[in-house]
Amino acid sequence: MLELKDVHTYYGNIHALKGISLTVDDGEIVTLIGSNGAGKTTTLRTIQGLIRPRHGTITLNGEDLTKVPAHEITSKGVSQSPEGRLIFPRMTVKENLEMGAFARKDKDGIKRDMERVFTVFPRLKERISQKGGTLSGGEQQMLAMGRALMANPRVLLLDEPSMGLSPILVEQIFKIISELHAQGTTILLVEQNARMALSIASRGYVLQTGEIRLQGPAARLRDDEDVRKTYLGEH
Amino acid sequence: MLKLRPALTIGLAAAFVTFLFGGWSIVVIGLLAGAMTGLNYGQRSLKRTPREIGQEAIVPGLVAAGMVVLGGVVFSYVVTPAVGKPLAYSLFLKFGKTAVRMDYFFVLMISIVAGVLLGALASWYMASIQGLPEHTRRARLIIVLVVFLLIFPFFEQITNMQWMAAVITVQIFILLALGLNIVVGYAGLLDLGYAAFFAIGAYTAGLLNSPQIDISWNFWLVIWIAAAVGSVAGLALGAPTLRLRGDYLAIVTLGFGEIVPVVFRNLITVTLREPITRICFVGCDPVKEVRNACLYACTGPLDLTAGEKGINPIGRPLIPFTPENLFGANYLPWYFLILVLILFSIFLIRRMHQSRIGRAWMAIREDELAASQMGIDPVKTKLMAFAMGATFSGFAGAFYGSYISAIFPGVFDFSVSVIVLCMVILGGLGNMVGVIIGGILIMGTDRLFLPQMATLLKGFMTATVLPNVSHPALRDFLTFSLDPIQFRLMLFGLVLVIMMIVRPEGLVPSAERRAELHAGDEAAGAPPLEAEVAAH
Repeated sequence: MLELKDVHTYYGNIHALKGISLTVDDGEIVTLIGSNGAGKTTTLRTIQGLIRPRHGTITLNGEDLTKVPAHEITSKGVSQSPEGRLIFPRMTVKENLEMGAFARKDKDGIKRDMERVFTVFPRLKERISQKGGTLSGGEQQMLAMGRALMANPRVLLLDEPSMGLSPILVEQIFKIISELHAQGTTILLVEQNARMALSIASRGYVLQTGEIRLQGPAARLRDDEDVRKTYLGEH
Repeated sequence: MLKLRPALTIGLAAAFVTFLFGGWSIVVIGLLAGAMTGLNYGQRSLKRTPREIGQEAIVPGLVAAGMVVLGGVVFSYVVTPAVGKPLAYSLFLKFGKTAVRMDYFFVLMISIVAGVLLGALASWYMASIQGLPEHTRRARLIIVLVVFLLIFPFFEQITNMQWMAAVITVQIFILLALGLNIVVGYAGLLDLGYAAFFAIGAYTAGLLNSPQIDISWNFWLVIWIAAAVGSVAGLALGAPTLRLRGDYLAIVTLGFGEIVPVVFRNLITVTLREPITRICFVGCDPVKEVRNACLYACTGPLDLTAGEKGINPIGRPLIPFTPENLFGANYLPWYFLILVLILFSIFLIRRMHQSRIGRAWMAIREDELAASQMGIDPVKTKLMAFAMGATFSGFAGAFYGSYISAIFPGVFDFSVSVIVLCMVILGGLGNMVGVIIGGILIMGTDRLFLPQMATLLKGFMTATVLPNVSHPALRDFLTFSLDPIQFRLMLFGLVLVIMMIVRPEGLVPSAERRAELHAGDEAAGAPPLEAEVAAH
């Protein structure tokens, strides 16, 4: 469904992605793990059109995304819960969610998705008229994910949903991600918390300094010697 | 137990005005002070019914109006003699052509009675409507405001207060501030060159409705053209610069604001020539040009703006079936015209703010990266903000040109941009009511209070101080250097600095901010998510 082929991205002269190829199939959770600076966020930004790849193609159901302006990629069916959440602090929870559906015109569909978000995140319903900036970290993460869902995406990109959350909350967030997956959402999950990510993903890619080092079914990556040493902290 | 401190504060601020003006201003200021007191007490009242809330606010209203009266009395019996005016003099009431002579003492008595009564009444009414449900309250408030805005100019004319010129300037600047509020308040783009669009509007109107290049189109057409040209200028400035953010954008707009008046200053020998064939279209001299296709002004280079001399005279608006000099004779038609323009702008801006584009502005201001992930085109959205902001200053410029009837490049300097920005910040970024109040405070100070203060101070010096001072250097200093008008920019700077420290959200913060504080209270009441989960 979503396919990256030999994508090279640069920040000025810095070669950030050195030929990334990955695929996310319909209904899958695919995870992209790696340490700081490996290029995980850059990959997502490249998919979203916020940075342009210098080489390579990104296709969604066969349609080339590399020439589509960033703000139109959302309506093509890719939406992201960005790193650091980036919610709108001075808008209410409801307004934040409505912003997620900014590119959509189908009022009924928006209403339905709002209901769906509130079923997945009952917390957000309790906080509906509260400002985004006054939410707790976990609630903000839920809001960012809910907002991304409001675009009714074909592929949901999640950038480090566990960042800065307590272990219990991380577990809760991952449970929700699995739920979303069970409901049929296709997810590309970028994580530093490799253990959690590999436990819910069907496949995984290991990213190191802009290149994909390893790939395969999540279970196999979990058992891989290198992965266990480097990313899972086992000896 | 009633707390009178807010009433005393409001009264003191208002009394400062009557302390400077005395006379009839007691009536107007007493009314306004009463209304503000009522609003203040009504909003904080713990009572439920409108009746009770209103009754509770009568005494504070009386207190505030009393302070105002006190200011007026001090003006009459302390300030007046101190500035060397006789205690007893006459004022005139003007009813059209007939003038009625009135003893000042008599005027003062009427003003005191009317000021106190109106103050208490206003306080009672404004407080009591606070007890009504939201939509009726709004409707009542608007009706009261409209009635005041309709009656005030006639009262001003009859009592000959000489405030109208200042009031109209205040209105022009309010229109400007409303436009700038779109750019700075809604979209969060710092524009330090806003006066440029004001100038573009004024010069467009000036060119198309004056003997300068001999075009005199109707004002009602020209004002729309000026707005359109303004918005095109907004796009032209925005398109290349909007990739810049924050400080960088501010610097570019600052430059633009400086360039535009210079351009107008220099557009005095304009010829338009096709560059390759050198065929000339506009402003050639057919005798000297061999190959010419002269279309316009074919007697030498065209003088578009008359440089420093300015464009003069600019045509006045004409309304069918009214006397031709309706807009020449007095201030009232101008007052109502700009009032209509302001109301129209408020209506348009409100609609825009509540629409998709308003949402997009808000999102861009909050977080540009996130906004573009939501499917908002940041460039288009920002351009739209620039263009809309420039449109309203185009309106203001066209009105200004026609009202003053002459425009000079020097009028549109940096201080205009700064003052308009001050108005927006003082009142409260992103809130139209706040912006209007900020405008009234700043421009009222600038055009009404400071000049009056200067006159009074000058009188005070000549009448009271100078006769007792013999040292020549000190005499010089007292005569020439103590001019409040010269301190105006310092005063505004001071106000801004104090605002930023004491109340950075502005006098009337936007609903978002207010709700944010409110939501903060709620959040404190509910247990945060982490704690709750951890308890399991």
